[in-house]
Amino acid sequence: MTGRPSRWLTAFAVLTYVFLFAPIVVMIIFSFNDSRRTFIWQGFTLDWYPALLSNDELLDPLAVTLQVAAIAVVGSTVLGALFGLGLARLRFRGAGAVQTLLLLPMVTPEIIMGISLLVFFTQLFGLNGSIAQISLAHITFCISYVAITVRARAANLNPQLEEAARDLGASAFGAFRHVTLPLLAPAVAAGAMLAFALSFDDLIVTSFNAGVGSTTLPVAIYSAIRLGVTPEINAISTIIVAVVAVTLLIAWRLGAFRNAASAAVFEPETA
Amino acid sequence: MTSRAAEAVPDRGGANADGKPGRPGDGLGTGLLVLPGVLWLAAFFLLPLGIIAVISLGSVDPGGHVTLADPSLRNYEQALRPEFLPAFGKSLYYSVVTTVLSLGIGYPVAYWISRHGGRHKILLLVLVMLPFWTSYLIRTYAWLIILRDNGVLNAFLMETGLIDRPWVIVDTDLGVIIGMTYGFLPFAILPLFVSIDRLDFSLIQAARDLYASGRGAFLNVTLPLTMPGIVAAVFLTFIPALGDFVTPDLLGGAQTTTIAKIVQIIFTSGRDWPYGAALGFLLMAVTISGTLLALRSLRREVIGTAA
Amino acid sequence: MTRDNRQTGMTFDEALTTKLRLAGWTRRDFLARVAAVGAATALTQLLIACGQGTGSSAPEPTERPTPGTSAAAQATPAITAAPTSPPEPEDELFVYNWAGYIGRQTVDKFEEKYGIKVTYDKFPDESTQISKITSDGRGGGYDVTYPASTWIPRFSVDGVIQKLDHSLIPNLANLEAAWQDPGYDPGNQYSVPYAWWTTGYAWDPRAIDADLTSWGALWDPAYSGRMSMLDDMRECFAAGAFRLGLSPNTTDLAELDQILAHLQEQKPLLRRYTADDIGDMVGGVVDLTHCWSGDWVQMTYDIGRIRYAIPSEGSIKGSDTFVVLSGAQHPIAAHLWIDFNLDAQISSENTNWIGYMGPNEAAREFIDNYIINDPRLNPPPEVLAELIELQFLEQPDLDQYTSRWTTLRAS
Repeated sequence: MTGRPSRWLTAFAVLTYVFLFAPIVVMIIFSFNDSRRTFIWQGFTLDWYPALLSNDELLDPLAVTLQVAAIAVVGSTVLGALFGLGLARLRFRGAGAVQTLLLLPMVTPEIIMGISLLVFFTQLFGLNGSIAQISLAHITFCISYVAITVRARAANLNPQLEEAARDLGASAFGAFRHVTLPLLAPAVAAGAMLAFALSFDDLIVTSFNAGVGSTTLPVAIYSAIRLGVTPEINAISTIIVAVVAVTLLIAWRLGAFRNAASAAVFEPETA
Repeated sequence: MTSRAAEAVPDRGGANADGKPGRPGDGLGTGLLVLPGVLWLAAFFLLPLGIIAVISLGSVDPGGHVTLADPSLRNYEQALRPEFLPAFGKSLYYSVVTTVLSLGIGYPVAYWISRHGGRHKILLLVLVMLPFWTSYLIRTYAWLIILRDNGVLNAFLMETGLIDRPWVIVDTDLGVIIGMTYGFLPFAILPLFVSIDRLDFSLIQAARDLYASGRGAFLNVTLPLTMPGIVAAVFLTFIPALGDFVTPDLLGGAQTTTIAKIVQIIFTSGRDWPYGAALGFLLMAVTISGTLLALRSLRREVIGTAA
Repeated sequence: MTRDNRQTGMTFDEALTTKLRLAGWTRRDFLARVAAVGAATALTQLLIACGQGTGSSAPEPTERPTPGTSAAAQATPAITAAPTSPPEPEDELFVYNWAGYIGRQTVDKFEEKYGIKVTYDKFPDESTQISKITSDGRGGGYDVTYPASTWIPRFSVDGVIQKLDHSLIPNLANLEAAWQDPGYDPGNQYSVPYAWWTTGYAWDPRAIDADLTSWGALWDPAYSGRMSMLDDMRECFAAGAFRLGLSPNTTDLAELDQILAHLQEQKPLLRRYTADDIGDMVGGVVDLTHCWSGDWVQMTYDIGRIRYAIPSEGSIKGSDTFVVLSGAQHPIAAHLWIDFNLDAQISSENTNWIGYMGPNEAAREFIDNYIINDPRLNPPPEVLAELIELQFLEQPDLDQYTSRWTTLRAS
């Protein structure tokens, strides 16, 4: 019973996607720019891609960034999803305080968060920065985003469903796993995607928590800003986008996305 | 009738109970859910922040070291300088406009994905995020290439004769708003989607019959039901937008300085951590209370109009 | 290990003490080994023991290459009460520097020559650098970094950097006489000058067809909307100060107010306060920008016609140095690094690439002519003498600047 989408709505959505991808298209085009500075188009060249393969100054930070992002996404998604679900159901007076706690990391200026962790780890533990430390920091600021996203979904979830499952004999964990989790899945996935974007791109908090040899890609790129944002940086971003796009395509072809969004025990399939 | 109707629950926002019957709200269970996150934040966020809060009461000795020899609130008094108001106003302006635009653009798109995405919903959602799994700096520089005076957009506009002098976008408020809205759009679309996607569209259909108009159905049924998503979207855009100083710095110019940049300046050029911390905390307090207040009235507005 | 009485060698002693402590040896143990197997071997064993003790960077207990160039290395390895052979360097080095602030192959060449693995990290701006190295008061885990010369007095007092062992840096002799004894660090006890620059402004003659010579150009309404200033508090205040005939290091409140008023007049004319002046010029965002001399060189790589001027009312000169941090885990390698970079050939490669003139006399013959011969990059001594260095400000004075700068920016 979906009805045909309004033409205007579809056009609007398409335009929005164009808006979202416009800079990416520019980025890809300029990765072929025959000029050290990525600004002015000076001719076509493929040279930057092979150059990238031997450019440890970008590849090493990329590896660090991906490691950190992996840890950060897993950590913050687990903690944040539980948090969001709990928050949606919380019924005691402290709920307001808990919600405020959740908002605090988002409200904190990044330089304050970065410095606070720097002081914390250096003075209290004598640590000088590392991949682990960066990951801890990232989890800390990502939790809120995941939690808030999950809560938006969980707010409309009826716990009676879970109760019904328990009445039917499921254990608490089983009910959670087979009823609640699938219903929350899209929100958890959405939160994870947001967390990945946040972690992958973080600059300020990371620069205060990095240690010797644990520079991330954003820090490396930002440090090189005065030298000019060479097309190699465009190239590396293009490759990342391409890899993700190809992965998505394969997953899509394999049917990974079919019904995933509405997958739930009770929902009818909408054609 | 699908059991969706049984599932549909009017917004509570999660925070303030209105004691809906049949909802025991298991204390221990939900407490356990929140506990890991709370503990983590307490250890790795509150504690470090507490250290900085203590520092904000101190000052810097002539040797440049933070000292707590004479703790006081003088940094906070100093932070309340009226000279900072224009910068604060700028930040507020950018954040509000960015949030409104993000919601305004994000809601229809999220709706479209949910309603008409069919089998490809998640794929479409991932496509929204895909541009943001690249470097922020690259995206911003790409916008510069597009928007600057001798950029792609102006070249196009001048070529087609629509304008004869370059439209100055970069280094103005407009450039900053475009850049910020762009940056926060996925943070609006995703939470809106997860909420809209829960809607039972047969309810909407019924509402349309009831109100005999699309708009009535939207305002009185759809909107209130998706309130959790809207609230989430506001949190995830407005709040970080207020603290964003990099975008206004790169896409903006001398006249677009935000209060977040001022905080940055105090920490870096000023080397005054206590003072910077005080200003930062003041901002945080204002932001949180402002957001919560705004949301309360928004919710009252939206729910209030629901027949 | 005893040293020649003439040399202070305090650093090495401190380093040795640290190593001994890490390895759990006493000095007696160490001296006994020296007597038994020779200083070089004993030192190697010590360093191995340290590596195992800390567990973080265990050096390979195999032969390691001896440093090649420095004259001291030619000394006999025979062990006496006052041995003259240099200590074995560690096999790693942690450097913390600006991006692009070194010759393109310098790191590779160093690694090849000495077999020392260099981890070369970069920071995006000075405040990150300073926060990181002062975070634990001893360098934040790094061995070498490149602070502006104005930080040296503060760092030496605070113990963030260690006194240099000049016996490990024979190439110090390559420095120009003037740089052997700079005001901020007499005798280069704690630092070694690396590069220096002037501040001025650059413009595109195609857009601004004029011979600009005065700071007034940056206040000229004719260029409104087409120029920018550096996003740097001290530099902007200095520009204002010079224009008003005041000192850029003034701490007089009335004068500071005057400068503020002057900068406030300028602000509406500006396009931006920029951290990327090079990108702005090359991208055509502005036609005239406040910048540093090395930036101008970078601009010309892309747009050769861009011009640079040191304003006639006076301007700033500054310098960067390299230092060995007090918490350095690889102090010998650190000294070796400095010595390596002072080598005439290497130093010239650094200078030629980064475009900032260096203080190295011996390197001059290898430095590109366009740098040597350009009076804007390499002013003659009389011009250089006129330029003023920014002094480090004590906090109360700095606060006066900060409050005015934030007022300016917030309005």
